[in-house]
Formats: sequence, C-alpha cells, structure tokens
Amino acid sequence: MIALEFPPINAILRWQDVAPSFNKIAIVAVLATIIGCTIFTLAARADARRAPRGARNLAETSVEFIENGVIMQTMGRDGLGWTPFLLTLFLFIYLCNVPGIIPFFQMPATARMAIPAALALMVWVVYNGAGIKHQGFGGYFKSVLFPPGVPKALYVLVTPIEFISAIIVRPFSLAVRLFANMLAGHILLVTFALLSESLFQAKDKILIPFGVLPMFMLIFLTGFEVLVAFLQAYIFTILTAVYIGGAVHPEH
Amino acid sequence: MATAVVTLSGGSVVSVRLASEKGVAAAPRAEEGAEPKDMGPNPISPEIKELAWGFGSFLVFLVVMRLFLVPKVRKGMAERYDGIRADLEGADASKAEARADVAKYEAALVEVRAEAAKRVDAARVTLDRERGEAIATANQRIAAKKAEAEATAATERAAARDQISAAVTTVTATATSIAVGKQADNSVVTQAVAQAMQSTGAR
Repeated sequence: MIALEFPPINAILRWQDVAPSFNKIAIVAVLATIIGCTIFTLAARADARRAPRGARNLAETSVEFIENGVIMQTMGRDGLGWTPFLLTLFLFIYLCNVPGIIPFFQMPATARMAIPAALALMVWVVYNGAGIKHQGFGGYFKSVLFPPGVPKALYVLVTPIEFISAIIVRPFSLAVRLFANMLAGHILLVTFALLSESLFQAKDKILIPFGVLPMFMLIFLTGFEVLVAFLQAYIFTILTAVYIGGAVHPEH
Repeated sequence: MATAVVTLSGGSVVSVRLASEKGVAAAPRAEEGAEPKDMGPNPISPEIKELAWGFGSFLVFLVVMRLFLVPKVRKGMAERYDGIRADLEGADASKAEARADVAKYEAALVEVRAEAAKRVDAARVTLDRERGEAIATANQRIAAKKAEAEATAATERAAARDQISAAVTTVTATATSIAVGKQADNSVVTQAVAQAMQSTGAR
C-alpha cells in the first residue's frame, strides 16, 4: 500500500525568497536576461566575416528565425524594424519557459502569472501605441471598431465585439495562454514525478515495478515540455507580430 | 489487486491511496461544517515582486538588445552577406568574362580554321599544277629518251644485221666453195643471204 499526498498548489508554485523579494521566478527572469545578453555579446564580439559558429551561429539563427519565420510572414518587409523587440520577447519567454525541465530549477518562470501578464500588458501598450502613431487616435480606433466592408447596420453588433476582442480580450488571451500551458506542464511533471517516487518507495513490494510506468510518462512529458517551451514562445511572439502588423497596416 | 482511492480534502489537497484487497484505508475526510482551511494566496494572482523582477529583467534585456547587441550582430550579418553577394557578383562577372573569352577564342579558331583551309586548298592547287607540270616534263623527257634509245637500237640492230649478213655470206660462200669445189660468186651469195635474212625477218 502507498500513500501519495499531493502538495498544496501554492507549495509547487510559490517559492521561498532566497533574498528579500527575490525568489526562484526572479532568479529565472534575471538569468534569462543574463544568458540572452551573454549569447548576443559573444556573438557581437565574434568575427562576422567568417562563417558563424557557436554563439554567433545561435544568435544569427534566432535573428533569421524571427525575421523570416515571424516578421516576413505577418508584417512583411516594413516590419523588420521590429526585429529587436520581437527577438527579445521570443528569447526572454523561451529562456523563462525552459527552466521547467532543467534539474534544480524545475520551474518555468512563465508558470506564474506575473511575467505573462506584464508582457501581455506591454504588448497591448505597444500595438495600440503603434496603431495610434501610424493612423492617429481617431483613425486607429475607427479601423479597429468599424472594420471596412461591413454593412453599416451590422456595426451595432460588430463594434462592441471588435472592442472587446481587440482591446480587452487580446492581452488576457495572450497572458492566459502562455501561463496556463506552462502551469499545466509543470503540474503534470510534478504529478508523475510524485507518483513514480511513491510507487518506487511503496511498502508493498509488488507495486514497486509499476513505478516505471509514471516514470516513462515523466520522461515523455519532459521531452514534450521542450517542444511546448519553444511553441509557446513562438505563439506569443507571432501573435504580437500579428497585432502590431494589424495596428500599423489595418488594410492587411 | 491494487485499488486507487482518490480523495479530495479541504478543497485542494488530493490524497491518492493504492490499497490491496485486504483492506482499503479510508482517507481522512474533511469534517462537514468545519472552518475552511487557509489555502494561502490565490495561486493565479501575480506577485508584485515577480512582476517587478520579471518585467524589469525584460526591459533591461530589451534595451541592451535594441541599442547594442542586435544592431551589432545585424551589422556583422549584413557585412558578411554583402561580402558574399559581392563575391557572387564577382564570380558571375568572371564567369561572363570567361564565357566571352571562350566565345572570342572560338571565333578566332573558326577564322584560323577557315584561313588554314583556304591555304591548304591553295597549296593543293599549286601542288596539283606543279605535279602536272613535272609529270608532263618527265613524260617529255621519257619520250625523248625513248626515241633516242629506239634510234640507237635501230642503228645497232642495222649494224648487227650487216655484221651477221657479212658473216653468213662468208660462211655460205666458204661452204658453197667447199661443196662445189670452186669459188662461189660473191655477189650471188650476198644477194641470196640478203633475201633469206629479209624473208626470215619478215616472218
């Protein structure tokens, strides 16, 4: 017989401060910035005339990925000026996601609401600001609330929907999508880790071999989380690019 | 057979028990009407310190990337791509130049071949003419030599015939004088020998 006590949700999400107001989430966020800056500093110092290797190769691959895989697909050539912002956003989210599967960290910083919410709010400010800058206050809100090609009678229905969708729901959906996916992955990993540990330590010897089943699931989910970490960073970034592109060029 | 007994207690604490058939241990149940346990802060609500550290880190990262790192990396990429593009254009230009050289060489080759063919034809014509002339000259020389040789042969043949005729006449006259016992008429013998040799030569 085994007894598995699943810890309270706050026990697996809220971390003790290692310094005043500085917990594991803060460590991951600061490390993400340090790692990102280190990679790009090493890349910037490398001889650009030679074929890129190591950090330079990684940096150039990520720049090209953002330019060709995100900006050119959503904003076109005019959007290339947004490369630093979108690249930083992608790298920061990815580097905050990945610690969920790194031993000793085992906690994605985006599995807490703070970072997704802050980033989503910033994206909301950025795309609305870009839209107002390019089209003017009235022009931007007119293009958002009164989409062209819709019969005037339908504006009664469409305008509130567009307002809720574009102005209110977008930052929530951005934040919740990232947070919920990373939180779900983290809870799944904790669940299968606890289950396999409990089975391996069961007093009833017959149950011990069954511990490999949740352990294999744990290994599979760890691999899956590698994909999820990348995918969620990509989705957040590409949606940001879509929102900015839509605000700057509403005709697209 | 093992049985899993999952019990919710206090709203969030989950208790999972795997028990054999011998007995299922009952999970502790929350007493009805008991005070709800303090579950701590809402796990979804963002913490200010996490918000500050997270957003602060991102802002620092963004500023450093936007102002220093990305432009430097991008500049290096642009320089290398420009270099590669220039090299490609240089290679294309070299290829076009080489093609032009090949075309020029082939045109020159065609011209030289035509000139060589013309010269070969002219030489052939000259050779044919000279050969014809040489053959004609040789034929003339052969004809002259032949005529000369025939004349010499005819002269020598006539001289030989005269000598043979004289010898035969002498032999015939001597034989006749021995046979008849008197000297034969030399003119008759000479005429007879001449007639005999003429008739023999005519046959």
